[in-house]
Amino acid sequence: MSKKITAILLTCIMIITIGMTGCAKPADTAPTASDTIKVGWMGSLTGDQAVWGQCEFNTVKMLFEEINAKGGVLGKQLEAIGYDTKGDPQEAVNVAKRLTSQDKVVAIIGPNASGSAISIASTLEQAKVADIATVATNPKVTVLDGKVKPYNFRVCFIDPYQGAVAAGYAADVLKFKNAAILYDVADDYSQGLAEYFEKTFIEKGGAIVVKEGFKGGDVDFRPQLSKIKAANPDVIFMPYFFKEVALSANQARELGITAALMGGDGWPSDQLITMAKDAVNGSYIVNHLDFDDPEVQDLKTRYKAKYNQDLELNGFLGNDAVLMLVDAIQRAGEVDSEKIAKALETTDIKGVTGTIKIGKDTHNPEGKEAAIIKLVDGKYVFQQKYSPK
Amino acid sequence: MVQFLQQLINGLSIGSVYALMAVGYSLVYSIMNFSNFAHGGVIMFGAYFGFFFLTLFHFSFPVAFVSAALCTALLAVLIERTAYKPLRERKAPFLYFIICAMGASIFLENLVIAIPAIGPTFRTYPEIFSKEPFHLGLLTIGRLDVLMFIISAVCLALLVYFIDYTKVGKAIQATSYNIKASALMGINTDHIIIIIFALGGLFAGIAGVLFGMKYTVYPQIGMITNKSFIAAVFGGLGSLPGAVIGSILLGIIETFTSGYISSQYRDLIAFVLLIGILVVRPSGLMGKTTEDKA
Repeated sequence: MSKKITAILLTCIMIITIGMTGCAKPADTAPTASDTIKVGWMGSLTGDQAVWGQCEFNTVKMLFEEINAKGGVLGKQLEAIGYDTKGDPQEAVNVAKRLTSQDKVVAIIGPNASGSAISIASTLEQAKVADIATVATNPKVTVLDGKVKPYNFRVCFIDPYQGAVAAGYAADVLKFKNAAILYDVADDYSQGLAEYFEKTFIEKGGAIVVKEGFKGGDVDFRPQLSKIKAANPDVIFMPYFFKEVALSANQARELGITAALMGGDGWPSDQLITMAKDAVNGSYIVNHLDFDDPEVQDLKTRYKAKYNQDLELNGFLGNDAVLMLVDAIQRAGEVDSEKIAKALETTDIKGVTGTIKIGKDTHNPEGKEAAIIKLVDGKYVFQQKYSPK
Repeated sequence: MVQFLQQLINGLSIGSVYALMAVGYSLVYSIMNFSNFAHGGVIMFGAYFGFFFLTLFHFSFPVAFVSAALCTALLAVLIERTAYKPLRERKAPFLYFIICAMGASIFLENLVIAIPAIGPTFRTYPEIFSKEPFHLGLLTIGRLDVLMFIISAVCLALLVYFIDYTKVGKAIQATSYNIKASALMGINTDHIIIIIFALGGLFAGIAGVLFGMKYTVYPQIGMITNKSFIAAVFGGLGSLPGAVIGSILLGIIETFTSGYISSQYRDLIAFVLLIGILVVRPSGLMGKTTEDKA
């Protein structure tokens, strides 16, 4: 008899608990209607690209504080919730799930890496939360198989464009005829740049004399560089990140290679100068902006004053991502993730890295010019704004 | 021909980096029969110790070098005492040791990242030796490569002497042959294990400092040690000459694959070759036994 009672009691408890979990939902969403707007951030806080990720998150936090001090957006305070993706696309999906389902953010800023920005697309679509990638330049971040991803946006230009800019500048302005390419075979970013550099450079009448690969994490590039040296190119295109750039540039000079070096937005960093100042002297970089542009000085000073560190590239693009989001929230008129995503599609603002006019079919900023920077004695010297014809 | 010789030099130089790291794996394996994956973390610490001794405390290079090696020896023993000894006392299966070692390795990497003074950024050693390489006709040989080669050769020779000709060395050999029987013969195997970890740590420190000088220092150095571990297995885990030969061969195979076949498929081709050799000789080139090498 007592067994029966226990069974009935247990069933009752189970039913009640099920009922309670059902009720718990509206109670959870209630805080979003309060005085804060939760915005997610994701990026590398550890790993190779931690320097950039930390700077980017710091910039976002600084800007939110500034905006909040001025009364916030739509009368509400902005709150940044950031998690580390460790530069790992799988981890990025976990972070995206956590931000959308647990923290219930209205939009996400970051990540800086293309691989991570690509992997989170389906999570965003399920949660109907928009993401503004900062330095994710791979085309697949916003467009896949010719179809635009509804919740993925970005503030930077894309790899084909970057590769084409580098090739155009090398062929038309610097008049180089023979180019070598060294790239990271395991990296989408590096592959994309290498592919479009090769295409444009050949279209412009140049020749790719040798194309060599390595794998991210490698520290010795001399086998490949010895081969490049034998081909004797005018320029070596190195579309990868500053740590590998510093190592490979040093080793190239050690082997007696005198060719000019060229790279993309993976280069700019103070670390590159400390490590390979002489080796990269005279190299050309395609970048998102000119660090000495008077218009960006204010942001640089504010950041330096707050964190006592120099603002890295990610900070500038992080700034524009925040501007873009705030503008979208204001135009949406309410804190609703879907309405914000809709508003993002019609963005047309002026950021520190140039005009950001989002294309409806691409979710990329259209017609953004690239800056050509030359490294001279450890300084980033702006050459010109350039877009290939 | 010039290209061939230059690639051979490149291969030897890469192989010697692997060799220095692989020796530590083999040393511990020969006694403990498990792969001490924490070794990569200790190497990384060696690189940081050397870096801070040189830049923060302004030690001269030999002093910094030796102190870094002593510090890592201490660290390796510390890891043994805190992580492995309790497992040994409880006679835990070897799988637990491996998992514990992996845990220690991840812990060390994240510890470095978490310490604000070190953090995740990578560091560059001050220029102690000129980067200007030696030129032999059309060939170039890096000064550091020559130095590394000499230091590695001397250290390895000392190690072989120590193991072959000293009383402690004989005890190590006996212990590696059969740990239980040696204990019955009056060898304090616990001390032998400490000595082995200290030696492994010493080599980790040497490898770390040289690696840091040659390339750079960053928390993920441990990733490179995966390759040196593979080289140690290839040469025959537990065998010191095997570790050295396996490493040099791996370096040369890698370089020649990228130099003459395809740098894009370097790892693919090089490792298919390695697997092929292991299929024919499962205990590696110089390995004695066919035990589980997990």
